[in-house]
Amino acid sequence: MKLLTHNLLSSHVPGLRPGGGFPLRIELGHPSELPPEPIPNFEADEEFLRRVHHVLLEVEVLEGSLQCPDSGRRFPISKGVPNLLLTEDDA
Amino acid sequence: IGCDRSKNLVDICGEKHFQAFVCDALSVPIRSGSCDACISIAVIHHFSTAERRVATIRELARLLRPGGSALIYVWAMEQEYKNQKSKYLKEKNGNKNKDKEMNTGAAQRPLSDQGPENSSQDSAWSDQLLNDSKDENCGAKPAADFRLPVHTNRTSFHSQDLLVPWHLKGGTKKKEESLDTELVSGSFKESQELSPVFHRYYHVFCEGELEAVCRSLDCVRVQKSYYDQGNWCVILEKL
Repeated sequence: MKLLTHNLLSSHVPGLRPGGGFPLRIELGHPSELPPEPIPNFEADEEFLRRVHHVLLEVEVLEGSLQCPDSGRRFPISKGVPNLLLTEDDA
Repeated sequence: IGCDRSKNLVDICGEKHFQAFVCDALSVPIRSGSCDACISIAVIHHFSTAERRVATIRELARLLRPGGSALIYVWAMEQEYKNQKSKYLKEKNGNKNKDKEMNTGAAQRPLSDQGPENSSQDSAWSDQLLNDSKDENCGAKPAADFRLPVHTNRTSFHSQDLLVPWHLKGGTKKKEESLDTELVSGSFKESQELSPVFHRYYHVFCEGELEAVCRSLDCVRVQKSYYDQGNWCVILEKL
């Protein structure tokens, strides 16, 4: 799953408030190489920009999960494929 | 980006490095209004009630931004149209134009195997009940009969709601060719290879039916409506 794909995905757990399913939180096996917030004056920071470019365009999540921000429901990502099927329990 | 209900099929997309995810067409986990265009090819005809079929189209429309387009293909009841047989019908009795997925020995046997001696299979009825009442009936079975017939592959449809046999040949999954409506032979004489047969539900559409379902929604406009090789097709614009 590329970040561009992630950008379109939204949790569809029933009963969420509008917009409550987006964005899904990406959970990886290992910590991200990026800081949680952009550093001040990041436009001028070549090293930072290089790392952002890498994450946006060169990284695919192969194994991990996506977490719904409002419900906490987790959707697995396996072999690069997110599985967003809801079960009977979700409904 | 692609999606399908079958994890195994989506995994194949992943192996080929396409962006794809697993979901149900009735609840697509994509933000509303985020797509310029969507396609739904040979999907909607698998939903067993009119209510669910219109719900999938409504869901498709939700994904589109205003002005965005959707293309929908569903199997047609009419496999012969304007005196032209569809490829699905034409490739009966060994008359193959393409050798796409017909690459196992059994599938290449002429379909004359499905002769009169197999007629008990031809008219096999399943005791599954249909949930919805038939509102439209383009000249097929009487509405009161709720059993689902099992279709004989590569023949005309006699009912709008039916089960179509699908053979899982050892090791290689045979996928349905959506636009061409090709299927692996449903010959029952292949039993010596003990390949499992799956019965897949279809609601095949009559002329005008898909268009009528789309017109019942006021969030889309039918831009184009046509017939293509055994399929009824529409192009919708999101309003």
